[in-house]
Amino acid sequence: MIRRPVMGRPHRLGGEHLLVSLLVLYVSFTTLWPLARLFSAAFQPGEDGTPLGLMLTTLASRSALRALSGTLQTALLSVAVSTVIGVALAFAVSLLKLRTRAALTFLILIPLIVPSQTMALAWIELFGAQSPILKPLGLAPPPGSTNPLYSTGGIALVMGIEHMPLVFIAVRAALRALPADLVEAARILGISPGRIGLGIVLPIVMPSVLAGSLIAFTAAIGNFGVPALLGIPGRISVLTTLIYQRLNGFGPAAAGQVATLALVLAAMAALAIVLRNIATTRIAVPLPAGTPFVPTRRAPVFEFLLWIVVLILSLVPLAALTMTALLPAIGVAFGPDTISLDQFRAVLDNPTVRRAFANSLLLAVITAAISMLVAVPLAFLSQRRTNPVLRLLDFVIEGPWVVPGTVVALGMILAFLKPLPLIGLSLYGTMAILVIAYLSRFLPLVLRPVAAAAQSADPALDEAARITGAGLNRRILSIFLPGVLPAAAAGAILVVMTALNELTLSTLLWSSGKETIGVMIFALQYEGNSTGAAAVAVLSTLLVLSLAGGATLIGSSMPKGTLPWLE
Amino acid sequence: MFFRTLVATTILAGLAFQAAAADTITVYTSQPQDQMTKVIEAFNADHPEIKIELFRSGTTEVMAKLQAEYAAGNSPADVILIADTVAMTQLKNDDRLLAFTDAPVAGINPAFIDADKTFFGTKVITTGIIYNTNLVKTAPKSWNDLLAADAAKSLIMPSPLYSGAAVIHVGTVSQQPEFGWAYYEKLAEAGAVAGQGNGTVVEAVARGEKAYGIIIEYMALNAKKKGSPVDFVFPAEGVSSITQPVAVLKGSDQVEAAKTFVAWQLSKAAQVQAAAQGYFPILPGVAQPEGYPALTTLKILPADSDAMLKADKETKEKFAELFGG
Repeated sequence: MIRRPVMGRPHRLGGEHLLVSLLVLYVSFTTLWPLARLFSAAFQPGEDGTPLGLMLTTLASRSALRALSGTLQTALLSVAVSTVIGVALAFAVSLLKLRTRAALTFLILIPLIVPSQTMALAWIELFGAQSPILKPLGLAPPPGSTNPLYSTGGIALVMGIEHMPLVFIAVRAALRALPADLVEAARILGISPGRIGLGIVLPIVMPSVLAGSLIAFTAAIGNFGVPALLGIPGRISVLTTLIYQRLNGFGPAAAGQVATLALVLAAMAALAIVLRNIATTRIAVPLPAGTPFVPTRRAPVFEFLLWIVVLILSLVPLAALTMTALLPAIGVAFGPDTISLDQFRAVLDNPTVRRAFANSLLLAVITAAISMLVAVPLAFLSQRRTNPVLRLLDFVIEGPWVVPGTVVALGMILAFLKPLPLIGLSLYGTMAILVIAYLSRFLPLVLRPVAAAAQSADPALDEAARITGAGLNRRILSIFLPGVLPAAAAGAILVVMTALNELTLSTLLWSSGKETIGVMIFALQYEGNSTGAAAVAVLSTLLVLSLAGGATLIGSSMPKGTLPWLE
Repeated sequence: MFFRTLVATTILAGLAFQAAAADTITVYTSQPQDQMTKVIEAFNADHPEIKIELFRSGTTEVMAKLQAEYAAGNSPADVILIADTVAMTQLKNDDRLLAFTDAPVAGINPAFIDADKTFFGTKVITTGIIYNTNLVKTAPKSWNDLLAADAAKSLIMPSPLYSGAAVIHVGTVSQQPEFGWAYYEKLAEAGAVAGQGNGTVVEAVARGEKAYGIIIEYMALNAKKKGSPVDFVFPAEGVSSITQPVAVLKGSDQVEAAKTFVAWQLSKAAQVQAAAQGYFPILPGVAQPEGYPALTTLKILPADSDAMLKADKETKEKFAELFGG
């Protein structure tokens, strides 16, 4: 399109305003409106009209208090597990000279890449009385005893291991910036390596340890897969599972009632985020700039031990899960004569399972594509402009990702249960409500890397284009887009990986015909078909790991830090 | 260009999800997923023109979903196929069921069919005792064998808060003069636990986490057939039984297709398949599953379903008090 320069300026401004308005509309529809509905539902007056009555009655009920204490107990214990293991592994990987660092790092991140419900199933199989791995070693719990993981400690352990990589990533990043001079000086003074680690390095990276632990805490209070699979049979109630049980038992009409519980979860997450920001900005130790520390000490024995630990944390449970999936029925001992592919055949023959895979793939791809389409113009507009509307928008967009998924799902039910005005259709019970929920929750995964890439782009290019009269479309498509495309692609892959195995949102929003992989695994397990559940979990894990592999192959052209496992 | 694409994609995506075939009926059921898959396959062999959408959960949850949807307007459900007649009678009393007066019921025992022809039993399912053959040397014979300290502390049962079969079982047992609620109180005291549905029971017993379980027979016997180390006993005092009724809902916008599905459930093809899936068939002349005692010789505990319906809420609350929600 060629425009006369005279007409150019007002037209461009109009274009930008239109674009901003559309983005505001989009975010309002997918995020702002549902969250606002949630708030207003939670603050409703009680049945007798007392202000905040609903909130007070809900919070005073015994089951709510039990769930709140369950959430706090399991989350705090699991943070302790995540922190101890995450810090120890980050220290080992950063301070020792290792031949196999890249492989170890990837394995350490596996618990985060593998979906929560799969991890929970895998640990159930590993620790059961019939454990295909522990039983031959004589380490399985005695027959007749309940799985030891069906307990507060069990939930904390599995969640702790699952969220350990969050602490690991935070601490590892801090250790990469550790000044070499400091360690050198301590060595010259003859301080032992152990004391250097605990007395000098640990205090320096403490803000990062704290920040990582707080992220692990937000993840733990919002986790649904682990407490659902371990806590429901163990009768340990947490807020996410209580909300799920109430909604399932009383239907979507109960959404208003449990909105208060969701709000408690959101408040806890918000508190953790505020504390994390304080940890990273206020109490961070200013360090002298210098060459970062590079480990020189070879430690073959440590490296061997490290491998054993990492294999136990990441691969052994998955092996137990795979072995269970190869059994013809529950309770059969694993052996060369009992191995069968029956479960895989059965689940692949089941049209519902196939449809779940198709639904999840479709949802993941649509979410990734639309998120890219939204993230690119959004990052373009907020790149240099300090438009207050856009800054507010950035803040709102982060919301659904940092609050627990249960909160987002409830907001969706409250906002979209009643038929929409104009079209007169209710989105509840359709695929559309899942799409909107996914879009709301996963947009930050694309927006963050795109915004980061936009930061490093040269603003002069866009300025030049603007002065020569290029239209808004040209400036976005020809100047801005090429620079951020790799980042957008990486973000999109992260969305696909995360959305494929999504459980928390889907479990509250799915309806017949719209089941997802996560829902399928969960449903099969609860029907008493855990071998079938294991088979679906194995298939979906393979899918995610191959996506991770594919992303790694094209990862070299992406901005640093986009894929958490690439160093 | 950018936002135009964006808007167009969103609208298109929305439209694509709204489209549905004309002859699609939605069945809400408590029958397991993998069984229903085969049922739909067989149904479509006879009626390829009707597509079936499925919602599956425990009977209590299916009912809750339905009630909530009615409260919000209307439910997409056309047919309901759940475990117990108590829940079905509730729906009938709420005027949610459509009378299907010309349903093909010839030869079927009238006890299995609602007098007003609103719902129809599709098979007989009984509740008895499952045990792990690695852990239990002498098979139990009576319900009272479960009261022994060793047995009770290693016993798991389904919860009526989740399973329709459990609603009837707990309702029936608590009505028997020789058992009553005292039976459940003793079990609870001795350490017996409740899981969710029958699935959690077969799972725990097959894994060897529990030695004994109270469960519907086909789940135990199917697991045994597949090789799990379990066996099943029909206790001497008798078993409780349910008929897994099916009904057309009044709110259905596909009444003819829904009726076709209900009629098919009572046909020989469906009954033969039900028997193959481990159910006692309801149609005379269809052979029952191998290894099952003849239905006519099986002792069934007497049950007063009107009283059960009246006491439904109370039963659930009492159970929850003893074994937790």
